Amino acid sequence: MPAPFKFILNHQTLWLSHERCIFWEDQKALIVSDLHFGKSGHFRKAGIGVPQNIYKEDLQRLFSLIQFFNPGRLIIVGDLFHSHANKEIDLFVKWRNDVPNLSVELIKGNHDILAEKYYQNAGISTTTGSLTVDQFCFTHDIALACESESQYIFSGHIHPGISVSGVGKQTIYLPCFYFGETFAVLPAFSKFTGLSKIRTDNSKDKFFAIVKDQIIRIK
Amino acid sequence: MILNKTPGFFIIQRWLSEKGNKPFIFQQETWQHIINGRSGLVNAPTGCGKTFSVFLGAVIDFINQYPKDYKTKNKNGLQLLWITPLRALGKDIHRAMEEVIEELGMSWKIGIRNGDTSLSEREKQKRQTPEILLITPESLHLLLAQKHYPEIFKSLKIIAVDEWHELLGSKRGVQVELAISRLVGLKLSLSQQSKIIVWGISATIGNLEQAKEVLLSPLFQVEDPEVRTPGIIVSANAKKKIEIESILPDEIEKYPWAGHLGIKLVDKVIPIILQNKTTLIFINTRGMSEMWYQALLNAAPELAGAIALHHGSIEQELRLWVEEALHTTKLKVVVCTASLDLGVDFRPVETVIQVGSPKGVARFLQRAGRSGHHPDAVSKIYFLPTHSLELVEAAALKEATKQNFIESREPRLLCFDVLIQYLSTLAISNGFLPGDVLKEIRSTWCYKDITNEEWDQTLHFVTAGGVALQQYDDFRKIEIIDGVYKINNRRIAMRHRMHIGTIVSDPMMKVKFISGGYVGVIEEWFISRLAPGDVFTLAGRTLEFVMIKDMTVLARKSNAKKSMIPSWQGGRMPLSANLGFMLRKKFEEAGELKTEKLKIKKDIELIVLEPLFQLQQYLSHVPNENELLIEQIETKDGYHLFVFPFEGRLVHEAMAAVLAYRISKIIPITFSFAMNDYGFELLSDQPIPVDDSNVYELFSPENLLNDIQRSVNSAEMARRKFRDIAVIGGLIFQGYPGEQKKARHLQASASLLFNVFAEYDPKNVLLRQAYNEVLEQQMEEVRLRTMLDRIQKGNIIITFPKRLTPFCFPIKVDSMREDLSSEKLEDRVKRMQLQLEKIV
Repeated sequence: MPAPFKFILNHQTLWLSHERCIFWEDQKALIVSDLHFGKSGHFRKAGIGVPQNIYKEDLQRLFSLIQFFNPGRLIIVGDLFHSHANKEIDLFVKWRNDVPNLSVELIKGNHDILAEKYYQNAGISTTTGSLTVDQFCFTHDIALACESESQYIFSGHIHPGISVSGVGKQTIYLPCFYFGETFAVLPAFSKFTGLSKIRTDNSKDKFFAIVKDQIIRIK
Repeated sequence: MILNKTPGFFIIQRWLSEKGNKPFIFQQETWQHIINGRSGLVNAPTGCGKTFSVFLGAVIDFINQYPKDYKTKNKNGLQLLWITPLRALGKDIHRAMEEVIEELGMSWKIGIRNGDTSLSEREKQKRQTPEILLITPESLHLLLAQKHYPEIFKSLKIIAVDEWHELLGSKRGVQVELAISRLVGLKLSLSQQSKIIVWGISATIGNLEQAKEVLLSPLFQVEDPEVRTPGIIVSANAKKKIEIESILPDEIEKYPWAGHLGIKLVDKVIPIILQNKTTLIFINTRGMSEMWYQALLNAAPELAGAIALHHGSIEQELRLWVEEALHTTKLKVVVCTASLDLGVDFRPVETVIQVGSPKGVARFLQRAGRSGHHPDAVSKIYFLPTHSLELVEAAALKEATKQNFIESREPRLLCFDVLIQYLSTLAISNGFLPGDVLKEIRSTWCYKDITNEEWDQTLHFVTAGGVALQQYDDFRKIEIIDGVYKINNRRIAMRHRMHIGTIVSDPMMKVKFISGGYVGVIEEWFISRLAPGDVFTLAGRTLEFVMIKDMTVLARKSNAKKSMIPSWQGGRMPLSANLGFMLRKKFEEAGELKTEKLKIKKDIELIVLEPLFQLQQYLSHVPNENELLIEQIETKDGYHLFVFPFEGRLVHEAMAAVLAYRISKIIPITFSFAMNDYGFELLSDQPIPVDDSNVYELFSPENLLNDIQRSVNSAEMARRKFRDIAVIGGLIFQGYPGEQKKARHLQASASLLFNVFAEYDPKNVLLRQAYNEVLEQQMEEVRLRTMLDRIQKGNIIITFPKRLTPFCFPIKVDSMREDLSSEKLEDRVKRMQLQLEKIV
């Protein structure tokens, strides 16, 4: 795995990985967003033959990141599961049971509609609204977060993408990490997600585009 | 059986002569073949009795069978299935047929089946099948999705396909082929004595013989040698006289070099409108038709009330009103798009004006034919250029018309999306046995070459859903029960039914007044760029955007002077090969004109354009028919390379990609490109290494296929093609009433699905189809290859103009840009970044 990109925020050390996650070294926490597990299964149940390997790879990616960073806690800022229960989700639960010492913490997103019992059985603790860990706050949709006074917020939901353009009217779109003055937005972890273009007009904002296996800072 | 000795012919002839008519020769010929049980194709333009050729043939055949009680005999079951591409056509044909049946005193019933047919009418048709059913291809497939369909079709004798030239070459045409294969197969399985015959009705196209073969191909699953005899083409031989006149700008020097609109010439249009009873103005896109409508009203306010707008995004009721008003001479002028290309004749129309390039000879003639509908009347069409160079097209069209140089329609091959949809359709009704259905499918032209492997993959995709994780999979679509392939899940069946009728288009949103009242539909991406308070135009109205609610755009009336005109994605047809050929000829003539070599008859358009050609020659060169012109120009935007093959946008897009790829093998370089119907442009921020030493190699047909596949753009183009395929193949749900919320988690864009399949299931049949469609439809590979061969045999002229020329200017302005790069993505981002910083 190529080395992650070091980024200091409020004196905390964050490692941005091109595999679409953040490792928060001070807290030994892995932060991910919008995994949408079970999405291909949901499509397949409705007769749409989306290849399931995309899900398998997402899963493998997550668990090899867990092996690599060896975090104590996994913080998921929403949309862990895509929709209703299906067999694909059973596969996640099986893998999750292989890492019993990892604390998995979900801040519920709009897609997390499973019954509470389901999360309990899978060893996932859930929070609705936001979760505070040390000096950071975690929530799914920044638009729905209440005004927080001093805490810096990590969010997901919008699947941010950045367009990079140059001379000759060329444009390319890339998934990215966004760090604004008061909050950050993580890229969607799942490869089975699209991008939504974000505005880049505020010069104080920081953008880190994921270009294949590198993180490149834009602006 | 000799026709004029049969009772049926006697009765029909008597009925015609009572009305003061007599049968045309081509009609009698068709009737003779029909009563002989032969199949074939009637070649006749609209408005000369083509409907009666096949329809009355069916009636005569019936009377011959029951000469004594043909009048009273009812409940005969379906006799004639009439497939028509347009719903609107169904209604008029229904009216005409009903009149005949009534006057003959027969008891036949005639039913219409399309998206507008009411539930009660459907029920009635179910209880008693009408003798004639008028149907669209989609509705025919919907019928095949019903359990009782074999009952409906068991008595069927004749399948007629109207406007076959329109359906051929489209996926709806493939739907027709499949439906015929099933109906013929059904008849065979019932092992009845009677057989099915098939008749197509088609306007003249370049490949009429092939059109017939495609249509009749499914009949060949029948062993009966009599049916196997090749079909017949019956030609009406009705040739219409057409007069073509260009609308010339007063001062060619002041007429714009680029543009799509031509509104500057509005003052020349008004007198034409006033001189004629009714005029149709054909505009290439809906957006421009809105602008012309406004411009005409501004130029001649007295037209208010006598002018109307007709295009595909206008509310249907309003469109029907316009059509009705056209019949009754209430309207002086109608501004329309391709929406009025087809359909019934409007007798009062005396003149047609074509604004901008019609892109093809066939389309131009079809539009011209909308005027002058009396038997001996001359069709009059004006050509209005939207930029000066386009005038050459008028000269080319005149020549092509004189030579009857009409385009072919290429039939589609191996459309897996339509096949998957069709298999699901059969799986909903009675299920299918793969062996039996494969035999039928292979009898069609479209799937005659489907390999066993492709067939297995298709079946695997609909039954197992491709690549899966065995025990962690819930895939459910077609299930196999005792060897029968069936869909049992009601929800999946319902979704599928909703999708058969889906006409693939960009996502559209309804536009309503906030106070109530429907205005029309508009593309979603256009609305997504608007902010509340923005003003736009639709259906000739100026509207202020208020908000979006429940997938509907709410708007209010506005008096703002300036408004945005929506541009619709459709309507960007490429120039046809035939017209391109004529264009090159005319450019050569223009070039000779300027050197005074040519003293023979000159086209007025070329004479008018002389100053422009002189400038082009002064700055660069006017190419001969066997020359390819390349212009290299440096501007503040970068280094431009313009190439002028005159082969239409699509071929140019492909050639630009291939050329960019081949150049990028010489040095790492990034291009963006633009094209129009005359040529294309490569633009780069570094000099483009093309000169005498390498140019023939760069335009070589060798390794073409490889280079196409390697040029990045084939993936981008396939991604765009994949949208339609994904919808037809059932991968995308466009949502339907009452279930919008539940289907929310099933939303994925075609572009995302394309990525997913490309990475995780690259052998998927739908994905491969997207790439094939790119080659055949998008790149027009055959045409591209022909072009390269032509270039190799001719001369390539490279010039270095000091400034933009009349030829390249329209391309420079028309920027539909694509990218191609041989640089590594990472390097590219870093370099763009640098450039950005330099600017800041």
